[in-house]
Amino acid sequence: MHKPYIQRQRADWWLRNPAYRRYMLREATALPLFLYTLLLMSGLFQFTRGEAAFLQWLEMLRSPWLLALHGLALAAALFHAVTWIALVPKILVIDTDRLRVSPAAVKLAHQVGAVVCNAGLLLLAVLLLRAAAGN
Amino acid sequence: MTETVTVRVQRYRPEEDTAPWEQSFEVPYSEDLSILDALNQIKDQQDPTLSHRWSCRMAICGSCGVMVNNEPKLSCKTFLRDYREQAAVTVRALDNFPIERDLVSDISGFIDHLETVQPWLIRSEEQPVSAGAYPQTPEQMQRYAAFSQCINCGLCYAACPQFGRDPAFLGPGALALAQRYNLDSRDEGAAQRMQWLNAGEGVWSCTFVGYCSEVCPKDVDPAAAINRGKVASDINYAVNLLNILRGKDDA
Amino acid sequence: MRRSHEPVAWSLFGAGGMLLAFIGPGLVLTTALLPWLAADDPQATHAAIGALLAHPLGKLLVLACVALPLFHTLHRIYHGLHDLHLPAPRLPLQLLCYGGATLLSAVTGWWLLQV
Repeated sequence: MHKPYIQRQRADWWLRNPAYRRYMLREATALPLFLYTLLLMSGLFQFTRGEAAFLQWLEMLRSPWLLALHGLALAAALFHAVTWIALVPKILVIDTDRLRVSPAAVKLAHQVGAVVCNAGLLLLAVLLLRAAAGN
Repeated sequence: MTETVTVRVQRYRPEEDTAPWEQSFEVPYSEDLSILDALNQIKDQQDPTLSHRWSCRMAICGSCGVMVNNEPKLSCKTFLRDYREQAAVTVRALDNFPIERDLVSDISGFIDHLETVQPWLIRSEEQPVSAGAYPQTPEQMQRYAAFSQCINCGLCYAACPQFGRDPAFLGPGALALAQRYNLDSRDEGAAQRMQWLNAGEGVWSCTFVGYCSEVCPKDVDPAAAINRGKVASDINYAVNLLNILRGKDDA
Repeated sequence: MRRSHEPVAWSLFGAGGMLLAFIGPGLVLTTALLPWLAADDPQATHAAIGALLAHPLGKLLVLACVALPLFHTLHRIYHGLHDLHLPAPRLPLQLLCYGGATLLSAVTGWWLLQV
């Protein structure tokens, strides 16, 4: 008798295994990062409307809601950066007759690069704004 | 008195059951008892109607794949001692495949996908046997060696939620094997395999969950193979677009 | 089997993902601290950002920092909704996500041309 039982995926499949939950958490970093990008857009929009509007937007950033969004976006960005760079050596494989780089070296290069770029951006912003205020 | 372990085994008898159910067995525990040994003990000593697949007992035939406590495992390579702290061990048929009976899955969907990607050496011109073997350096072999370790056990398909969602997805095993031949210096079939990689059912159904690589008993890393396939398909897409702009046919 | 157009979405997703890994946390921290960094002289901050936005390279940089994360995040949201079994056909969802990313990027480009 041939009567196979067809297993259909349940909508809550991702809750049933820690590996799937980690995957969904990684994908969910997109939500706060999307909202954060909209916040950046709103800042640019207020800038186009003139100095007063922009300064009002700047003050609005102190609101607890937007600080909470920043906190969430920071956690998401960090988790994204760590999980993203962990996967880079699986996709970026440098293995030719002339040049060969180990996956560990590819990963390390990206980790160092990310730390330098992120810290550099923050430092640059602080220094530039200090210099601008000093003039 | 011998210590026993509770093993909950999924049963599905097409003649009488409409859905799978669970049956508990007590199995005498020993340090070196594998899940496969436990299943054989149950079938030989307790319930001869239990159906499960096995052959080599040494993780090379790939026929004894089951879900052990919700994780895809080769039952011969998984030991009861690793589940001591749990109240019971639950053994089910592999996820995402139709269940024929008890722990026996129908993995023909996976086998069909394997054939689709033409996993053999393709040459534009076949050399006569008298010309000898196609030579290859150890470095050239190293580029695909890991991807050639696949034993077709289907654990990666049971681990893949995208295959579970859409069985038309060629899936981790088949795409890893496609990559294995595409990376082989003796092979000339990459161009004709690209059509399957390029499809929505090819590499583009993958969202890099990565669990296929975690469960692979042979460390094939199919997730890496598929995602390198995405890079190849990406380049192929761009080249095709340029060719169309130059007036050539859409390939 | 037909050729998928996913490479377009995946390339933009990948570029956005790389950009977010390299400057995402730094950028978020910068804007989080911005009201306090600018507290001494908000007008000077306005002027400094104005100088950045006045330069063509600055405009390009800001466009990249908005458009690529948009394509990155909406790509993940699109696939995430499919993973969650959202009972919606694919095409309208694709139009919403990738069309939305394109539209919002175009609006950002337009605003950048205004300053």
